[in-house]
Amino acid sequence: MAYIKTHFFSTSLCFGTDLEVFVPTPDADELLNQKPRDYFRPGVRYQVLYLLHGAYGDYSDWLHLTSVERYAQDHKLAVVMPSASNSFYQDMVYGSDYLTYVSEELPRFCEANFPISAKREDTFIAGLSMGGYGALKVALTKPEKYACVASLSGALDLETILPFLAEMPASPFRIEDILGTDQIAGSDADLFTLIRKLQAEGRELPQIYQTVGTEDFIYPCNQAAKKKFEELGVEFTYAEHPGIHDWKFWDAHIRDVLNWLPLKDAALEG
Amino acid sequence: MAHFDVTFFSSALKKNTELSVIIPSVSADDYLFGENVPDYYGEGKFQTLYLLHGSYGDFTDWTLLTSIYRYAQEHCLAVVMPSGENSSYLNMKHGEDYLIYISEELPSFCTTLFPFSTKREDTFIAGLSMGGYGAYRAALQHPETYGAVASLSGNLDKAGAKLSGEAHMTKMPLNYRKAVNGDSLQMSEENDLRFLLQKCLSEKKELPKMYHTIGEDDFLRGPSESYIAFARERGVDIEFHLYPGVHDWKFWDAHIQDVLDWLPLKRGKC
Repeated sequence: MAYIKTHFFSTSLCFGTDLEVFVPTPDADELLNQKPRDYFRPGVRYQVLYLLHGAYGDYSDWLHLTSVERYAQDHKLAVVMPSASNSFYQDMVYGSDYLTYVSEELPRFCEANFPISAKREDTFIAGLSMGGYGALKVALTKPEKYACVASLSGALDLETILPFLAEMPASPFRIEDILGTDQIAGSDADLFTLIRKLQAEGRELPQIYQTVGTEDFIYPCNQAAKKKFEELGVEFTYAEHPGIHDWKFWDAHIRDVLNWLPLKDAALEG
Repeated sequence: MAHFDVTFFSSALKKNTELSVIIPSVSADDYLFGENVPDYYGEGKFQTLYLLHGSYGDFTDWTLLTSIYRYAQEHCLAVVMPSGENSSYLNMKHGEDYLIYISEELPSFCTTLFPFSTKREDTFIAGLSMGGYGAYRAALQHPETYGAVASLSGNLDKAGAKLSGEAHMTKMPLNYRKAVNGDSLQMSEENDLRFLLQKCLSEKKELPKMYHTIGEDDFLRGPSESYIAFARERGVDIEFHLYPGVHDWKFWDAHIQDVLDWLPLKRGKC
């Protein structure tokens, strides 16, 4: 696995930003255990997962706090981890254009500079907590780009979670600055409004995966979201497990996400 | 400009190793004032300079101690900066195979991972001091790989070197020097740049374009001039420049720019 810490000037954000990228390359484990090592060759492309951090986090979280590098290597999957501050992955009303950055500029930059497939069937996005919401927000904004989207403990139903966040001590979110309003229903901040629009246009939705810990404070928010998915007739995969809102849960269940994704567990030809 | 710090498992070295990579991309200047900005994310591949550090250094040196990041962007050139310990970029008698790593594995790895041209005319190698020697060593081993080679303050002529009293030699641990060259501490003939140049000429191999520069007061000036003379006697015209200066980063930051101006660059993707 090549682990690549990347810094570049983002024209969406108008400042330099960092990301972590994993690309499968022959490693010591494959040498020791005599696994195939001939997949890294000229013209190779990999399936790619964009993996989003949560509140208070940044591009380095998934790397430091889980073993996603090792899981991705087993699946021959490239992983891209950007930073998006506490923006809820939005183009902020007062702030920066993180939605444009993550949904447009980032894939363009990564497809130009790394050996990853640009095909929809090979492109996935996932995230935890704020990043679980962000993954769906991005995927439902660009449904033609992503075949699959997964939320781990995601803040999916903003209508449920925002009153909770408002009461939260040391909340990092300036919701008025992010959205310009706290009226969620009917706005593009509402994932279910986005789904309704796509359904009305007859667009194909990405496949959706939702997982949450049964003891997580965000469990009720996820139950509300699950109900709304069902009411909209959206096909989705739901899994709940014992656990709270922590890295133990995310390290365990990002593996379920990788098992759920339609991964080829192999390098793709260029 | 995008900057990448890469960690990967090297099959040649049998351990993890690090490198820094610079790839031209939209800069703040391009964004603000750019006219005729190259299509960085479009089709095509970048020309690439492999840039080697000196003894007592590592892959971070060129980035931290010069403005190579800015110069590479100005020249629309990708730059790869690996680590070579104090190996002189040789296959150590008792140690790692740095020559194989630098001249074989690294170009293959980088052209697979990044959007780099694989053509000889687009592939260059340079370095300072030990890295100047290393660049010549690699280029004369694989003249079919590199279109041009440049040395800044390199010790090209070991036969003429009088290093014994220099701190560079006396402060290098004896056990490390033995690991590189064996108990005799004598560089073997296969690593002698006179021998290698003569061998390329006898085998009628096409030589890369060659460049060498050194400070007037550099302690390695003597073996520079003797090697240039040796090459000229054999009809090999190494472009040679003597400038005021000594063996320091002020010299290398100034004159790496001359090297970039001298390289046959296309100033865009090719």
